[in-house]
Amino acid sequence: MGQQPTDCQPLPASALNFLVPVVAPASAQTLARLHVRSFVMTAEPKTLNVGDTLRLRIVTRVDENVGQLDNVTLPDLAGFDSLGDERVCASSGHGTECTEVLALSPTEAGDRTIAPTTLDAIDARSGKPSHFATNPVTIHVIAAGPQPSGVTRTLVEDLLRPIAILVLVGAAAYALLWGFGRRPRPKAQPPIPVSQPIAPPAPVDPLPQLIAALAAERTRPRVLAVRDEIRRRIGAREDETLGDLLRRGAAGSDRALVDVLRAVERASFIDDDQLPGAIDEALAALSNWKRA
Amino acid sequence: MIAAERKPQTLLDALETTIVGQRVTLEALLYALIAGGHVLLEGPPGLAKTLACRALASAVGGSFKRIQFTPDLLPSDIVGTRVFDQRSGEFTTVLGPIFAHIVLADEVNRAPAKVQSALLEGMQEHQVTIGPQTFPLPDPFVVTATMNPIDSEGTYALPLAQMDRFLVKVLVDYPSIEEEGCILERFGGEQPAMPRDVVTVEDVLAWRHAARAVHVEPRLKRYVVDLVAATRAKHDYVDRGASPRATLALAALARARALVDGRDFAVPDDVRAVAPAVLRHRLAFNYRTLTDKVDPETIVAGVIGAVPTP
Repeated sequence: MGQQPTDCQPLPASALNFLVPVVAPASAQTLARLHVRSFVMTAEPKTLNVGDTLRLRIVTRVDENVGQLDNVTLPDLAGFDSLGDERVCASSGHGTECTEVLALSPTEAGDRTIAPTTLDAIDARSGKPSHFATNPVTIHVIAAGPQPSGVTRTLVEDLLRPIAILVLVGAAAYALLWGFGRRPRPKAQPPIPVSQPIAPPAPVDPLPQLIAALAAERTRPRVLAVRDEIRRRIGAREDETLGDLLRRGAAGSDRALVDVLRAVERASFIDDDQLPGAIDEALAALSNWKRA
Repeated sequence: MIAAERKPQTLLDALETTIVGQRVTLEALLYALIAGGHVLLEGPPGLAKTLACRALASAVGGSFKRIQFTPDLLPSDIVGTRVFDQRSGEFTTVLGPIFAHIVLADEVNRAPAKVQSALLEGMQEHQVTIGPQTFPLPDPFVVTATMNPIDSEGTYALPLAQMDRFLVKVLVDYPSIEEEGCILERFGGEQPAMPRDVVTVEDVLAWRHAARAVHVEPRLKRYVVDLVAATRAKHDYVDRGASPRATLALAALARARALVDGRDFAVPDDVRAVAPAVLRHRLAFNYRTLTDKVDPETIVAGVIGAVPTP
């Protein structure tokens, strides 16, 4: 796939603080010594319209505790407008996970392949300068709504517009006659006191309903619904397993939540014969979590 | 049901008393033993690859043979040959070192393709034909092969089709500073003691039976298929992805890992944990990997990480 002409805005400076692109290869002396566990790039959604927002996520997991990653080269993002970025580097006893999320907006339709992001570092396994690369990502950009051609547009304007106007005028006249003739006058509504502003509706927490539904109907789909909601709540990404979540401390120091995650995972993947017992344990863990 | 003292974890613990700092290697050996596959160990010299295989054989209590692969090795040196007995006037068959429960093929890439094929045929068919007779190999039969990635002179690279016969390829890494200190403390000046007969061959066969019964949810099976299919998607650095044999291997190893972890059901973590070892030797990387100096391990991790977990 050929390179698209560059017509996007340059990335904001903030996007480059965390993942510092290098123009020339860094010398071995300036490279960090890293044990790179994974270096992955994902895009969400994979199919979108021109002008929609795409989140390009680059996740790097290393065994070392590092504050930031240097010598990372972002791919050429020609054909995308940059809308901003989020970044976080979290260290734990198991190393560091750095995540960079770039918000992008495609400017052209078609299948677009974003080249791999690269990281230059000294590979702790071999002791040699290495060039790590993520996977490339291909997205499908759809042109915004179909536009009528010139001839079609002329036909629409010349023929359909007078008809549409006539229909609208007729409908309005009928509505007026019908309304005045038959509709009762509405009762006057008491004014809303100014001192009692209407509060915005509180966000509804779906988890209690999902747990209640699981208790009422002990089936695998109900377990999975609870699992999905808990994963969403603790910020699990779609590529993260339970082990990944626990390693990066997604449950924090909440032991009850860890128990819930394990029990729900068990109920999600256990054999059908043992499912009722596993659901009982999951519900008990959820109950303990709620109490805690 | 597996008795407490005969659990796979017991074997793993016993191996760790001899092999320090190679937990990943030992786990891979154990998973492959349970899944009924063969293991390829790759790493620089001095990282206890050979010792790990010897310790496994000693701990399992089965028969063990070691074959040092050299350029002048012949297929009959591995599988055996027919010898003419002058007294009886008949040919008798002398079985080769491949007839053991655990066979260590040391530096497997130092022998020519004909010799490698002799070993690999046995690995695939679990039987060897010598002259007119076919001999079944023992059960369990596990080949652990080692390769040194540094000294490439005088070696014969294993073709992708032959690499595919290995259930897993393990990259043996250097131990951490603390682990190396522990190695010096524990084994300085002395030969490390081998764990002896911690479990039996019958135990291994029982584990295999139990592993086959480990439940894999349909969504997890789909994840396995998706992972292997992802290796076949268009990629800048990969010319050819993994075969359906990798799909079977991934599921079998995930079951083995679940069993070692004391579960009778597999979870996404089981699949994810074994995926690099199953896939890394089954991908055909193209020349750009070399010219761009891209680490193949990162490519494999990228492919795995891009597939959503169930």
